[in-house]
Amino acid sequence: MSRELVSANHAAGWAVILAGRANRRGRGFGSGVYPITPQTECIELLCAHEIEKGQVVRVESEHSAMGVCIGFSTAGLRSFTASSSNGLAYMTENVFAAGYSRLPIVMMAVNRTVGPPWNIWADHGDTLALRDAGWIQFYCEDNQEVGDTTLLAFRLAEDKRVMLPAMVCQDAFILSHTMTPTEIPEQEAVDRFLPPLDLPHRIGAHPRVIGHLDMPHETEAHRAQHAEAMTSVEAVYSEIQESFESHFGRRPPDPIVPYRMEDAEIVLVTMGTTAATARRAVDAAREKGIRAGALRVRLFRPFPAAAIERALRGRRVGVVDRDCSPGSGGILWSEVCSAAPSATLIQNYMIGVGGGDIRPHHITRILDDLGARERAGTPVFMEIG
Amino acid sequence: MSDETVERSRVLEIRLHGRGGQGGVTCAKLIAALHSRLGRSVQSFGDYAGERSGAPIRAYTRVGDGAIENRNKVYRPDHLIVLDPTLLGPDALAGLADGGTLLVNTPEPAEVLAARFPRVRVAAVDASAIARRHGIGTRSVVIVNTTIAGAYVRAFGLPFEALEETYRAFGYSKNLAAAREAFEAVRESGPVDTSASPPSPPPPAPPKVIPLVEHSDGKSPGLKTGSWRSQTPRYARHLAPCSAACPAGNDVEGFVQALARDGERAAAAVLARTSPLPSVCGRVCPAPCMAGCNRKEKDGAVNVRGLERWIADHAPAVEVEIASCASPRRFAVVGGGPAGLAAAWALARAGHRVTIFEAERALGGVLRTGIPVYRLPRAPLDREIDRLLALGVEVRCGRRLERSDVAAIAREHDATILATGLACARSLDVAGAHLDGVEQGLAFLRRVNLESGARIGGHVVVLGGGNTALDCARSALRSGASEVTVVYRRSRGEMPAIVEEVEQAEHEGVRFAFLRAPVGFEGDGRVRAVSLAEVDLGPPDGSGRRRPVVSERRSALACDAVLLALGQSDDLSLLPDGWSLRQGRLYDGDDPLPAFAAGDLSTGEGTVAHAIGDGRRAALRALAALGPGAEEPRRDRADRVDAARLGRDASAREERNPLGVPPKTVRPEAIRADHFASSPPDGERLVEAAIRRREFGEVSRGLPSAREAQRCYACGDCTRCDTCLVYCPDGVIHRTETGYEIDLSYCKGCGICVTECPRSGMEMSA
Repeated sequence: MSRELVSANHAAGWAVILAGRANRRGRGFGSGVYPITPQTECIELLCAHEIEKGQVVRVESEHSAMGVCIGFSTAGLRSFTASSSNGLAYMTENVFAAGYSRLPIVMMAVNRTVGPPWNIWADHGDTLALRDAGWIQFYCEDNQEVGDTTLLAFRLAEDKRVMLPAMVCQDAFILSHTMTPTEIPEQEAVDRFLPPLDLPHRIGAHPRVIGHLDMPHETEAHRAQHAEAMTSVEAVYSEIQESFESHFGRRPPDPIVPYRMEDAEIVLVTMGTTAATARRAVDAAREKGIRAGALRVRLFRPFPAAAIERALRGRRVGVVDRDCSPGSGGILWSEVCSAAPSATLIQNYMIGVGGGDIRPHHITRILDDLGARERAGTPVFMEIG
Repeated sequence: MSDETVERSRVLEIRLHGRGGQGGVTCAKLIAALHSRLGRSVQSFGDYAGERSGAPIRAYTRVGDGAIENRNKVYRPDHLIVLDPTLLGPDALAGLADGGTLLVNTPEPAEVLAARFPRVRVAAVDASAIARRHGIGTRSVVIVNTTIAGAYVRAFGLPFEALEETYRAFGYSKNLAAAREAFEAVRESGPVDTSASPPSPPPPAPPKVIPLVEHSDGKSPGLKTGSWRSQTPRYARHLAPCSAACPAGNDVEGFVQALARDGERAAAAVLARTSPLPSVCGRVCPAPCMAGCNRKEKDGAVNVRGLERWIADHAPAVEVEIASCASPRRFAVVGGGPAGLAAAWALARAGHRVTIFEAERALGGVLRTGIPVYRLPRAPLDREIDRLLALGVEVRCGRRLERSDVAAIAREHDATILATGLACARSLDVAGAHLDGVEQGLAFLRRVNLESGARIGGHVVVLGGGNTALDCARSALRSGASEVTVVYRRSRGEMPAIVEEVEQAEHEGVRFAFLRAPVGFEGDGRVRAVSLAEVDLGPPDGSGRRRPVVSERRSALACDAVLLALGQSDDLSLLPDGWSLRQGRLYDGDDPLPAFAAGDLSTGEGTVAHAIGDGRRAALRALAALGPGAEEPRRDRADRVDAARLGRDASAREERNPLGVPPKTVRPEAIRADHFASSPPDGERLVEAAIRRREFGEVSRGLPSAREAQRCYACGDCTRCDTCLVYCPDGVIHRTETGYEIDLSYCKGCGICVTECPRSGMEMSA
């Protein structure tokens, strides 16, 4: 284990290199990559390192990048790619293909505003638009979490009870390009933690059709199985948390991460790095005697509805979205509404859309607004510049 | 709750302002790494925008003692670092508290900035100048980040050792010297004056966002990105390595390009400025220009020697300009070899009267007595001598001068050039050296060249490894020798002879014995064998070649004749009593005489090209010594190139850039070789070895065409190839009548034009 001053892009990149090498005892590692700001550093690192029994194919588009991953994965290789924003939009057809083919590909996605007009800064809208593609989705809060989640995502995705692709999301620049001291595990520890991939449906010696026409009754069955696999994710993840902690000495965070929730009357629900800023605002509010708390949603798909329902009982809730689904409101908000106990006051705040710098006093303003509310109103769109 | 309270941070916050390409983000990272090494928690990030070179960027570092939870930018920096002084506006200073520290990369003294910003502590260092001196950056652009970090360490009282460790960890150790210099050079202003007028108000809020669906037919507001520029590209002529290497001082790149663009006559005119003997050099020069050619590593050096011959053979009748001279002087040139001819050429072209004194019956010196006609036919030599004489140069041939003659000649002329060459052939002081059949090679060549042939038979051994040795060997072959062996005390790669000559000799059947030194001759009256000792190579000597160490291991090489080609030394016996030679000038006692040595007598370099160059320079020295009115010849580019090469002539200043350094020689790494299609060099057409080895006809028929000139990179010389214009990301380079113009109101100084210039015809300036 070494502690390196690296960006979250490189934290993810190292996790992939280590995971790729770990599958040298299996069928190896294969990746298709295409650059896009702000994830390029990650694949640059990947391209710069030799991986035994591994190959990284530099292709001409994101669509092809995921196509290459699908090919490798179908052949039973561990597979990975990274993308962002409009790159994800262009990749979308194959993102669905990977999901509905039940291929345990891992993707690191840097959350960046979808254009036009062009914008390279943080916004969760790009990956949230892919919430229905059948992938597991994590949203991370710091560099260590990005690296650790990328590593454990392989084990989760490749678990026979799951067998689903996983997306590890992080905020553009706020994490992707921010350098902090980060623990990079040793190969031996990764080898012990991450067993070789044994893909049950990998192609073998005999020709067969992949992605053929499914009749309605077949698709019904496949979707039901897919949904069933999603429901097993939380339990498997819980096992992986234990295992990860025993191998690396630190426990990856739970699907939802509470902060000062015990007696909280008003609670802010966030995703990504907004959680850290919310904690600072909560601390400031507590100093003033306001019983505030915060809840970070780390696992978005499958949505940990039951845990969220338990956590939000009896609270007044503000959902802080770094995204906007025009015509509805924040995407996280609508998900939380579906999970929260009935009659809970849930107010939506959209903030930092397009990468605006969310500062503690902005969150304080949200807490003040929420504290003064008798009932929820329409979603509030905050322009912070 | 106020913004202040909730934003209060327990961590040290550093904000850095720079321009895209200055390395600001890496600088912030280095500072973070530095503090991390000192045991602190750190966080570092850039504030990215459209990644444009020269655009204002910010970067941040936080330093604390616990986990750093801040996820927003820095608005109230404790420390502010500004990499470009043009960024020092209210925008940059915003949020810096009274008494905070401002570190600026600027040539201005700290006091000047302190007057502008009295409420903060100011530290100033000219990191750009330091980084430029240390050559830190890309091939075109100076990068200041690793340099200014040295100043940061000093300004904030951190140990320099921590920076050393950090740079080692990052692999930046080669930049430490510059950082150390910045560490030493950073200056701080005096005490802070918080009673001074408050800082200028924060910048106004950005304008209202226009809806996407609002109709707009107005012009986009102009953004004069030229204000982002911290370094400026410009077109600059650099010295091509061929020109730098030419001992004759020829503008090699200039004549090759003149041939490529404008043909033989234009090229011949360039050559005529420096050399009267291009058809000679085009045949016999060892061509250091080719050894220095930047194309060598790609697909072979440009065949410059072949091109010079092509020009001389195809434009023989180029008119030579004679400058009009108000007060022509009378010059004597003693010695009609290449140095004397070059001196006469320079003086006559400058409008002066010249008389050449030559001991032989015809001019040419070693070109006529030493170099065999199969290498240098006499027709082109005579043609070029005739061209010289056509300038009005007088000639006195056929009498070897005595010392008294020299003194008289010196008295009768305004100045005298002595160019008598290396007259003494070295002999060998070993047993049997007096035997019949042991002869000086030069004497043999003289017989071959001047006395309509010299018969020699049997096995001829030639001792030596220079061009004279090769000339002896090949002439012996052509004069009846059944077998010829060249014996050289070092190895093949160290032979001073022209490589092609060695190859041609080998093809003709000449054999070589390397690492053998003659230690005696055997025979009874006539030489029958050479006794050879094996030579071991020791450590390198002064010439950089490994020193030959003669061993006790001996063998005898049977032979019928031996030719000595062991080099020559100068003969100062011509100098009148009391005269001496110091640095190319003659003195009577301690009084300088208007008499100058030229060529081998002066330099002993031993090639025709050196002699030509030194002959011309001796002429210029003589003119300079005669003082005003002698009217030195008009300096043209060739002279400036030559002067720049020597780095000691006043005219070199004309081509100096503002940084005060002579024009740089273009090194191979400054060439974008990928811009040039691969094409192997054209070789000269040689007569079959089996035919040529028995006759004195010219071995080489020269190049098949002038196409070879097209291979020249034109190092350091803009050819208007448009690469700069094509690569400029901002489209601000335009063609003009004479070259290009860069629109500096929009040029951001990204340096891509300079980087992409295939031939180093551009440079960045401060």
